[in-house]
Amino acid sequence: MFRYIDCADYGSEFCPCSLAERGECIICSQLKNQKFCDCLNWKGTCVYQEFIWNNEKSKKSREYRKFRIVEKRYLREDLILLKIKVNQGLARELCNIGAFVFLKPERDIEAYSTPISIMESDIINNIITVVFKIEGVKTKALKECDKEIMVKGPYWNGIQGKKYIEDLKNKSCLIIGRGVALAPAVLAAKKMINNKNNVYVVLDRGRSEEHFTESYFKSYGCVVKPTKICNMNKYILDDTRELLQHLLKKWNYEVVLSAGNDDFHRLILNYIHNLDPYIKFATVNNSTMCCGEGVCGSCQLRGKNNEIIKTCKQQFNPLEVFGEELNSK
Amino acid sequence: MKVIVIGGGWAGCAAALQAKKSGADVMLLERTDMLLGLGNVGGIMRNNGRFTAAEELIDLGAGDLIDITDRCSRHKNIDFPGHKHASLYDVTKVEPEVRRYLHNKGIEIVLQARVVDVDMENKSIKGIYLHDGTLVDGDVFVETTGSTGPMGNCLRYGKGCSMCILRCPSFGPRISISQRAGVEDQLGMKGDDSFGAMSGSCKLNKDSLSEEIRDILNRDGVFVTSIPPEDVNMDKLNIKVCQQYALKEFAENIILLDTGHAKLMTSYYPLEKLRKIPGFENARYEDPYSGGKSNSIRYLSVAPRDNALKVDGIDNLLCGGEKSGLFVGHTEAITTGTLAGFNAVRIGIGLRPVELPVSLAVGDIINYEKEMRKTPEGLKNRYTFAGANYFARMKDLGLYTTNISEIKERVKNLNLTDFFNEKLI
Ligand SMILES: Cc1cc2nc3c(=O)[nH]c(=O)nc-3n(C[C@H](O)[C@H](O)[C@H](O)COP(=O)(O)OP(=O)(O)OC[C@H]3O[C@@H](n4cnc5c(N)ncnc54)[C@H](O)[C@@H]3O)c2cc1C
Ligand SMILES: Cc1cc2nc3c(=O)[nH]c(=O)nc-3n(C[C@H](O)[C@H](O)[C@H](O)COP(=O)(O)OP(=O)(O)OC[C@H]3O[C@@H](n4cnc5c(N)ncnc54)[C@H](O)[C@@H]3O)c2cc1C
Ligand code: FES
Repeated sequence: MFRYIDCADYGSEFCPCSLAERGECIICSQLKNQKFCDCLNWKGTCVYQEFIWNNEKSKKSREYRKFRIVEKRYLREDLILLKIKVNQGLARELCNIGAFVFLKPERDIEAYSTPISIMESDIINNIITVVFKIEGVKTKALKECDKEIMVKGPYWNGIQGKKYIEDLKNKSCLIIGRGVALAPAVLAAKKMINNKNNVYVVLDRGRSEEHFTESYFKSYGCVVKPTKICNMNKYILDDTRELLQHLLKKWNYEVVLSAGNDDFHRLILNYIHNLDPYIKFATVNNSTMCCGEGVCGSCQLRGKNNEIIKTCKQQFNPLEVFGEELNSK
Repeated sequence: MKVIVIGGGWAGCAAALQAKKSGADVMLLERTDMLLGLGNVGGIMRNNGRFTAAEELIDLGAGDLIDITDRCSRHKNIDFPGHKHASLYDVTKVEPEVRRYLHNKGIEIVLQARVVDVDMENKSIKGIYLHDGTLVDGDVFVETTGSTGPMGNCLRYGKGCSMCILRCPSFGPRISISQRAGVEDQLGMKGDDSFGAMSGSCKLNKDSLSEEIRDILNRDGVFVTSIPPEDVNMDKLNIKVCQQYALKEFAENIILLDTGHAKLMTSYYPLEKLRKIPGFENARYEDPYSGGKSNSIRYLSVAPRDNALKVDGIDNLLCGGEKSGLFVGHTEAITTGTLAGFNAVRIGIGLRPVELPVSLAVGDIINYEKEMRKTPEGLKNRYTFAGANYFARMKDLGLYTTNISEIKERVKNLNLTDFFNEKLI
């Protein structure tokens, strides 16, 4: 069976990581307790080669650095937009589909690390824009940051099924989402538009007059259609069903990017998959993350063959994880 | 009935051609942008027992590719230490010729198509997946992916990637298809009990050698000069794949053969040492690019198989070339590839696959390798008509001859003249 498998860090300056050093590399068999090549996905560099040439040690992993907050804006009483001035290298590395960082206040311990997606990365002025929703203890702590904030990154696995979006050229994509999960879809939309794709956004404004992503999507040239999508993630509203059927027929989408929580993914993905089994899916990554390095296991998920997937680093095909038909088999 | 051949080296080309000649629809998948694999950096044909095998193939009706290598030969009937009556094909001519020939026969050749996985149903393969996830269906499959590399193996068992003709960084690594189908690979060993073995020759750019050497090569096909005594390295003979060239003469001398490039009969040779030798002052490598440092590692992926070349445990997978045994050579790859292609068609139409008779060298080598591979000693040997233990066996058994009419007679007495030219479908 063809395995959609990838590691978001493979081939980057962080590869090989400490997983490789301990014989747990996601891709390379030589670095997973075997003595022979049987790599699961080739992307142009040999992890084993990099490891040996690095004196059989992993590369240095990411560390927190302090950066200045240049703008803090309340979009709603529980929704905060931050613009952070980072350095050139980080801004550039974060200008990629699925990019995210861990944020925390300086005085707090590592346990306060909060994964937050990059909505925009301005690589001229080196400013990243994030939006976060106040939920519990960690995001309340972030709310306290006014002048400075600790940033750890870059991380790239914020979207699953990333390859489908990255490979898209001169085609069309539907983004469907609601809430703060739409933030990473903004950067993804910009990249897709750069690759001459048509991008259509169906979004749910929720309690807001206007969703904070709308102006971004429009400025890139996406068609934006605000609508109430579903009820409590239980069922898709009739009008939306009709809208989706109409759009699917008209635009012949290659990929659908679902930007909501996991129940939302399940609902949307299965509905659309039943209408058109050839559409590929990408989903915003909602795992609970702690280390981001494939070590702690808090982001762990079981794949369809019961294999462990460390979702902070590892890519999966969303259809295999959220698809009902496949899961019930 | 569709036969899918995976890997377009000499073995894969021979398998595709034979399956086509026997009447199947054939698709040949190759991960790089060229056919012939290691055949692009070889060239030596018809040396020692390979002469007999080449003639047997011709009489059996499987001489198409031999005709091409004969036609593309720069030199015929030359001798060099330990080897007699060799032909040297021109590596710059042979690949396009083969590609056109297969194309004209109606074989669908797909380049830059790396196979990465299989779709199984019980014990048979339904289809294979390409690197981009495309599923290709077929009835019978032939694996001829060779045994070389990829990078991690060349690093663990050799001295790292030396940038050989297989160009893994550009086209992605070899994948063992039989292993993906659940059949574990067997591994060849070196003299020192470690696994794999290093390719035994490299190529120098001919234009980088002195005019005198070039003239000799163009005229005679061979150039021999002695290595400065302080640079002789006997240990290298031990790590070498090509036991037919693991002779003292090859450690003490620089032996060049003219295959379009100047084929240097040693695994690798440090450039600064090489340039000390008169006439080599400007020498540079053509293959592998880092021939001053290292060469590719081979024989880390051999499938268990029967003498009809069907892979054990899978109903519709055959194998040929280095994948099918610890064989060295183009002639050996063409021999095994041809039989695998033929039996692919037989299996596809529900007939029992056949073996080649052991009274011919082409049949005996397949049987002998399988027997020998069962023993630790056998795993250290390599099997080629051109030398070492198998050539000695050919002579012992009276299989070796350069008498063309005698070979014709042998094949005729077996009632096998033109056997491979008959259509099955
Ligand atoms: C890759 C990624 C990108 C994200 N991007 C954004 C973003 O751009 N904006 C935004 O508002 N939120 C984002 N989140 C979610 C955000 O990290 C959580 O809302 C935050 O961690 C909640 O922590 P808390 O202590 O404030 O709330 P809690 O009360 O602890 O939890 C509230 C909710 O957040 C989830 N959560 C708790 N801890 C974590 C954790 N360590 N990692 C992930 N989820 C957790 C819980 O499952 C729960 O559903 C992202 C999450 C991930 C994995
Ligand atoms: C430097 C050198 C010089 C040599 N010189 C001579 C000589 O002079 N005379 C001689 O007789 N022999 C020579 N040999 C040995 C001879 O070349 C080989 O034994 C023989 O050609 C092997 O053929 P093969 O088809 O089995 O394998 P290969 O030639 O290795 O072919 C395998 C093919 O499969 C492809 N492949 C692998 N994996 C995949 C995949 N997953 N999907 C698609 N395609 C795939 C590869 O790209 C390759 O083209 C030499 C070998 C070397 C390395
Ligand atoms: S977040 Fe620690 S393993 Fe993924």
